[in-house]
Amino acid sequence: MARPVFRKVTAEEDRRLVHLDRDRALVEAALRDPAAFDPLYRKYLAQVYSYAYYELGSHHDAEDAAERTFVLALGALSRFEERARPVDGDGASTFRVWLFRIARNVVANIRRSQRRHPVAPIEAAAGVPDPLDVERTVTGQHEARAAWAAVARLPPERRRALVLRFVEEMSTAEIAGVLGRSEGAVRVLIHRGLRAVARDLGGRRW
Amino acid sequence: MIQPSRRDESEIEALRVDQYLESILVARDRGAELAVHDSRLDPGLQIVAERLSAELIRIHPSFRFEERLARRLAEVGDTLRLPAAAGGESRLPQLLAQRLPGTPGRAFERDFEPADLLDPAHPAIDDDSSGLNTRPLLIGGAITSAAISLAGAALVAWRLSRPAHPMVRAIRAAHVRSAEQGGLA
Repeated sequence: MARPVFRKVTAEEDRRLVHLDRDRALVEAALRDPAAFDPLYRKYLAQVYSYAYYELGSHHDAEDAAERTFVLALGALSRFEERARPVDGDGASTFRVWLFRIARNVVANIRRSQRRHPVAPIEAAAGVPDPLDVERTVTGQHEARAAWAAVARLPPERRRALVLRFVEEMSTAEIAGVLGRSEGAVRVLIHRGLRAVARDLGGRRW
Repeated sequence: MIQPSRRDESEIEALRVDQYLESILVARDRGAELAVHDSRLDPGLQIVAERLSAELIRIHPSFRFEERLARRLAEVGDTLRLPAAAGGESRLPQLLAQRLPGTPGRAFERDFEPADLLDPAHPAIDDDSSGLNTRPLLIGGAITSAAISLAGAALVAWRLSRPAHPMVRAIRAAHVRSAEQGGLA
């Protein structure tokens, strides 16, 4: 059942591989000319930034993470190997998975650095993010904060899986690729994460 | 009759939840109502899933940041074009050490290892649950030239403090042996 996005393919498999990555044309253009990286950057900036923001809880750190992720991705684009297969469907993007794996490592590095050189209490970074503040017109802001706070209290891998599923709208296969786990493991992470959030919110009168 | 184990049941429910989430996302794409009821699922889970789907919003950075980073990426692209034949990626540490102009906040002194960050097979460098990393940093005395950035110093310190790869250790040992043999001869 496990179907990791990243894996070694045999020469035989590679010959049979039908490339379906939806970003293939953009990636090829950027490989020919780094200046053509811009469309990929524009397409995924908000996604990478959101992911970093939900992980780090600060606009400044999210900008930092987004900046490094895209500079790294641009600099190492030649290393990217497309791995989408017919069973992944037309919407598959292994480029997005690759990009998010870089983002995930960059975020982890920043978090590690924050522990070494704390400039603010870690609780401040892990608190309820204020992106919801920009949505002041949305009713039920308090409930939205409560929902995010419940997600933020989850163990890291469950939290990441939920953010990738709900915020980034990734498929289970894509999340498996980003987190380096099997699809079955990702499904269990999400299921347990949802259960924990339901318990948490249920106990807090939402 | 074989009864499914608790683990099997849990995995089956996880699979159903996954299908349910997929239906929510598809419904959202179509602009349809989110309430796609699945009688086999715990109603509480469905409510939470719909709520998270509606309330965990994607956050967009500021337009100013987006444009600043776009300009920087264009500059990086220009830089990468020239040294591509001479190993453009070797410039990554330098490129990373630079900051976006006008970016507020602390100096860019975090250590990094581009090769690790880029390696999809690299085990999670994480994590917020892993506690403090105790690798020493040698920033300060290590900086003897204004041309060496803090990020560069951190990178050097990190490399020096890192246990060498077994192959590197083997090569070093071979060098020592050959030097000893040369000295004895």
